[in-house]
Amino acid sequence: MIEARNVWKQYRRPHIKITSLKEAVVAFLRGQTGYTDFWALENVSFSVAPGEAVGVIGPNGSGKSTLLAIIAKVLEPTKGMVKVEGKVCPLLELGTGFHPELSGRDNVYLNASLLGLSHDETRARYESIIEFAELPEVMDAPVKTYSSGMVVRLGFSVAVHMDPEVLLIDEVLSVGDEHFQHKSFARLREFREAGKTIFVVSHDLLAVQALCERSLWMQDGRLITDGPSREVIRAYREAVAKQEQGPGG
Amino acid sequence: MRELRELWRFREVLYNLVRRNLKVRYKNSVLGFFWSVLNPLMQIGVWYFVFKVIMGNAEPNYMAQLITGFLPWLFFSQAVLDSAACVTQEMALVKKAYFPRSLLPLSALISNLVHLCLAFIVLFGLFAIWGVDVNIHYWLVLPATLLVATFAYGLSAMVAAWSVFYADVKFIVGTVFGLWFFLTPVLYSISGFLARTEMLGERNWLSSLLQSSLPTLKKVYLADPITIGILSYRSGLLVGGENPLVAYPHLLSTMTEAERQAEILRAQAVQAQVQAQYPFWHYVLIATAVAILTALVGQIIFTRLSRQFAERG
Repeated sequence: MIEARNVWKQYRRPHIKITSLKEAVVAFLRGQTGYTDFWALENVSFSVAPGEAVGVIGPNGSGKSTLLAIIAKVLEPTKGMVKVEGKVCPLLELGTGFHPELSGRDNVYLNASLLGLSHDETRARYESIIEFAELPEVMDAPVKTYSSGMVVRLGFSVAVHMDPEVLLIDEVLSVGDEHFQHKSFARLREFREAGKTIFVVSHDLLAVQALCERSLWMQDGRLITDGPSREVIRAYREAVAKQEQGPGG
Repeated sequence: MRELRELWRFREVLYNLVRRNLKVRYKNSVLGFFWSVLNPLMQIGVWYFVFKVIMGNAEPNYMAQLITGFLPWLFFSQAVLDSAACVTQEMALVKKAYFPRSLLPLSALISNLVHLCLAFIVLFGLFAIWGVDVNIHYWLVLPATLLVATFAYGLSAMVAAWSVFYADVKFIVGTVFGLWFFLTPVLYSISGFLARTEMLGERNWLSSLLQSSLPTLKKVYLADPITIGILSYRSGLLVGGENPLVAYPHLLSTMTEAERQAEILRAQAVQAQVQAQYPFWHYVLIATAVAILTALVGQIIFTRLSRQFAERG
C-alpha cells in the first residue's frame, strides 16, 4: 500500500554551480549568491491499494521521477507525508549501482543486499537470477566488460528476484532487446497477478495501459488526473496534440 | 536508536561494501594485500634511517616505537582521508536506492580496520624475530583501537558529508593531517617532552608566547585521542602496561644490559615529576570524551546533510 498526502517537494537551483570554497567565495564577493526555489511537486495526494497497479505519465520535468524517489525514500518531501506498507523494491535505472571493476557475481550479491536480501537468500536465487538474465558464462568477468544491454538485463533480473510487496519502476519497461522486453514484461504481469502493488513511471503509454488499470497524469509538479488508464492516457494524448497545434489551433 | 536498528537491518550491505572496497583496492595489483603492509614498512624504514642512523637519535628501541606509533596513526588518517570520497563515489547508489547513508563512512572505516589487522600480523612477526615475550598487556591495544576508531568515525562522517558540497574538503584534510602528524608522538617519545619546562630555540615573541602557555599546551596535546591511542599502543605492546607518559621501553631484548640500566636511571629521574603532573588515566578519560563527542557531532552533521545527498550529486 502506498499513501501520499499533500506532498510538496522544493528544489533549490543555484544560478551558478558552486563546487569549491573558492567558487563560493568568488560568488559571494560578486554578489552572485542567487538561486531559484521551485516546486517539483505541489500538493500531490493519492493512495494505491495493495495489489493495485498504477502508472504515472506526463511530460519531462513534471515531477514523476521525484515522486518515485520520494516513495523509494531516496528523497524526503519538503512538506506532507508518504507512507508505504510492505517490502519495497525500487527498480530505478537498473544496474547503475554496479561497480565496473567487480565481477557480475559480486555485483549481484551487493545489489541484492541493497534491495534487502540476505547472503543465503541471494545464494538460493543466484542460479535463477543469471538464468533469467541469460548471462551464465560471464558472471566472473568484471562488469566493465559487459555490454550496456547485459548490465540492464542483470540489474532487472536481480530486482525481480526480490519478491517485493511493492514494486517501483522508473522507465525500465524497455530494457534489453525485443526478446528480453517480452520476457521482462511477462514477469511484471506475473507480479501483478500475484497481487503485488506496482507503481510505474513511464513514457511508454502502451506499456502503462497494458500493465496498469489506473494512471496518474502529472504536469508541472501537479497531479492533473487520477483515473482508469485508458481515459487518463486519452486525455493526456489530446492535451499533447492540442499543444502541438499551437495556441491558435 | 532508530538509526542503529536500520544499520543492523542493513548489515549485509555493510559487509558487501567492505568486501568490495578491499577487492577493488587490490584488484589490479599482483602483490595484492602485501602493498598495504609494504608501504608503511618502507616509510618506517626511511624514518629509522634518517633519525636513528643519520641524526643519531638516542631513544632505545626506536624501530619498535615507530611501528607502534605509526599503526594507529595510519589507520586513523587513512580512514578519514578515504571517507572524503566514500559518498561522492557512490552517488549512483545514493540516488537510486534507500539505505542508511552512514554505511558509507562506516564501510571506509571498517576497510581500514581490516588493513590494521593485517599490519598487526607483520608487527607480531617482527616481535617474534626480536624475541619479545607475548604478554597479557597486549589487550590494551583493543580499547586503544576502539578509541581511535570512534574518533575517526566522527571526523569521517563530517568529511564525507562536507565533501559532497565542497571538493576542497579533501585537500584541507590532507594539509591538516600533514601538520597533525607532528602533533602526535609517532616519531618521538613523549616523556622527554613532558619533562621539559622550557621551549628550545631562539628567543622571540613566538617562543615567549609558547613558553608562557606551555603547561596548557601540554594538556591540550594530551587530550588528542590519537596521541592517547598511540601511547596506549606503546604501553600495551612495549612497556607491559605501565604508564606510557613516564615509562621507558625495557621489554625488548635488543637492548644491552648497560643500555637498560642507563635508560632506567634516566627515566626514573623524570618519572616522579611527570607522574604527579600528568596522571595518565585522567587524559584517557578526557580523550575518550573528546572521541565520543566528535562521533556524536559527526553523526548529527552527517544525518542532517545526508538528506540532501541525492539532490546535490
